[in-house]
Amino acid sequence: MVSTRDRVRATASGPSAAPPRQRGLLRARRRAGLLMVAPAVLHALIWIGIPLVAAVVLSFTSYDVLTPPRFVGLENFRDLVSDSVFRRAVLNTSIYTFFTVPVAMAIALLIALMLNTRLAGRAIFRTAIFIPQVTATIAVALVWLWIYDPRSGLANAVLSFLGLDGPAWLSSTDWAMPAVIVVGIWQGIGLKMLIYLAALQSLPTDLYEAASVDGASKVRQFFSLTLPLLRPATFFVFVTSVIGAFQSFDQVYILTDGGPANSTTMMTYEIYKSAFREFRMGYACAQSLVLFALLLFLTLLNRRITGGDRATR
Amino acid sequence: MEYTRRSVLTALGLGAVAAATGCSASGGTTQAAADGPVEGEINLLTPLFEGSTGKELLEGKLLPAFKQKNPNVTVKVDYTTYAALNEKITTSLAGGLMPDVVMLGVGWIPPFAHKKVLAPLPDELAKRYDYEDRVLEPSRFDGKLYALPMVLDTRIVTYRKDLFAEAGITAPPKDWAELRSMAKELARTDASGKLTRVGFDPFSIDLRQCWETFLFANDGNLFDEAGQQVKFDDERGVEALQLFLDVIKDKSADYSFKSSAGQPTTLQQGRSAMMMSNNSLWVQLKKQNPELLAEDKVGAFILANKVPAMLQGGTMVARSASSKHAAAAQALVEFMGTPESILPTAEQRGSVPGVQDLRTSDYVKNNGFVKLALDNMSKARSEGGTAAWMEIREKIKTTLETAVVGKRTAKEAIDELANLSKEAISRL
Repeated sequence: MVSTRDRVRATASGPSAAPPRQRGLLRARRRAGLLMVAPAVLHALIWIGIPLVAAVVLSFTSYDVLTPPRFVGLENFRDLVSDSVFRRAVLNTSIYTFFTVPVAMAIALLIALMLNTRLAGRAIFRTAIFIPQVTATIAVALVWLWIYDPRSGLANAVLSFLGLDGPAWLSSTDWAMPAVIVVGIWQGIGLKMLIYLAALQSLPTDLYEAASVDGASKVRQFFSLTLPLLRPATFFVFVTSVIGAFQSFDQVYILTDGGPANSTTMMTYEIYKSAFREFRMGYACAQSLVLFALLLFLTLLNRRITGGDRATR
Repeated sequence: MEYTRRSVLTALGLGAVAAATGCSASGGTTQAAADGPVEGEINLLTPLFEGSTGKELLEGKLLPAFKQKNPNVTVKVDYTTYAALNEKITTSLAGGLMPDVVMLGVGWIPPFAHKKVLAPLPDELAKRYDYEDRVLEPSRFDGKLYALPMVLDTRIVTYRKDLFAEAGITAPPKDWAELRSMAKELARTDASGKLTRVGFDPFSIDLRQCWETFLFANDGNLFDEAGQQVKFDDERGVEALQLFLDVIKDKSADYSFKSSAGQPTTLQQGRSAMMMSNNSLWVQLKKQNPELLAEDKVGAFILANKVPAMLQGGTMVARSASSKHAAAAQALVEFMGTPESILPTAEQRGSVPGVQDLRTSDYVKNNGFVKLALDNMSKARSEGGTAAWMEIREKIKTTLETAVVGKRTAKEAIDELANLSKEAISRL
């Protein structure tokens, strides 16, 4: 039996040995392939490649937009090490990611499992759960701002009904971050649920039939079949969720402005402040590179731990 | 020509560097002279004239009047808020699209004039009208006039006369010791000990501006005359912050006990007996609680400790140094700085007009807080004063907040702020 790898190898070594007509065909195919990927490559080059290189270059400069960049070597990175607010932002971002990603993934999977059954009004539930994802965060945050209002907000009204005294959610250094995390979880469930739902619907039914015949319970089927088969989806959801969580910005911008006392400030928020409020573009670029490096590390680590997007069957 | 991988990567790298440094082209602005024909299409960036009534005033009244005087000039308006103004300017500068005319806050002139983003204005404009005391000070940098004042906004202390009378207090506090003891007397708690009314609410205005008002009332300064030395890190700055911690400790104030955006203030709701306010509160009271004004239940006074002082902020109008239609831009700056533009703008926002001629206007005569501010303009002090202000102003609230929420002492927070400010100034 000829494997795919052997076929690829044969193709790769082909042109020199192949007759002229076949070589021409291969060249035409290669040109067509290059033409087809060209738009995507150009897009990535212009909107990702050049800004990335520019960010790297600018991170070694002092640049305030108003005057030309001045080379300062590693000064921005040295400043970063001693910047207690940025360290706090890294910690806050990690805490936010640690809580929002797994919790939202677990809830999303649970909801996807429920919505994958023959449930009355399934379409309505799916839409309702997905709506927060497509609603403007500004609008969402404004609603949550009201929910968290210590005097007239819904959260404290519910607690008061239960005989409990609600805190000043967004003014308290103890409660502001949990409050932001809850919004992050709520808003992130929709997309994750959708991906899991799509993955669940493509799972092979023959395996479940075989498992049922073998007497496996539903719980056993979930842990031994569903979860392993969902590994590619889980990997995708995890990576995109971690990246999304590390890039959280708007809810903090609206809900807390990073406060009180920097207790909810995030890496992206500090980058924004350095660049657009303090005119420290070079420093903001250095902060962005730290964020980039962290995300790259986490993605590679996750790939190593979970085995990437290879499904187990 | 052959394109090797190395040559392509080299070209990419050089391109990126060129793109990066190319951004700075906007920085090398030449200061266009304002002579030449008054014509062309110019852009105006404004944090004022918010909402439909503001837009109606600007586009329905002021700009048509300007057009009548300058028929060859077309003005395109870019509305923003103070919160987004800074990033608007940053992105405009980076993109080389700085608006021809821009409205800025007090304290913003030194940073932008220092970087030659703004064009100096003829000094004669400073003598066109009789301006109130020191109103033009924030418009100057390095001895040159860079902007004209449009409206002023001051920070004063407002109080509930009915709650004072209820507690047997007959006059507002003369210094911080009295303020603290009165705040204690005026605060109320429920049976569980939870605050239902604070005696003093300093936190319903921006913490930075509130602390600055207290610093000035303690006869302190932010920076030296040249804007190169930090001056707030002595005992006067620490005491100003300490007072907030003291009133919290007394349980006569609470950091979470403040007015929510878009809702009546704690003073209006009777949830505070004294409150740091902007003079625009008068207009808000007229709209939301006219009975409080009609029954003379609300008063105001100037904060005092070692000296009486009020913070004077406001909005100024300036011309971009890179405007292609410099004469048209300057004409608009001059027009926006006339009493005809200032009065309706101040009226719409409840702000203080900075021209003495307007003291006799019905608006000033009928607005108690504006009148109080104008009567005390000699006690007004402004924030800023250093070219590093844009960076420093961002650090003030977050650093002081660490003390207010109990994470640091007042001295530690002020020392930290002083260090950050010194670093920012050293980068100039």
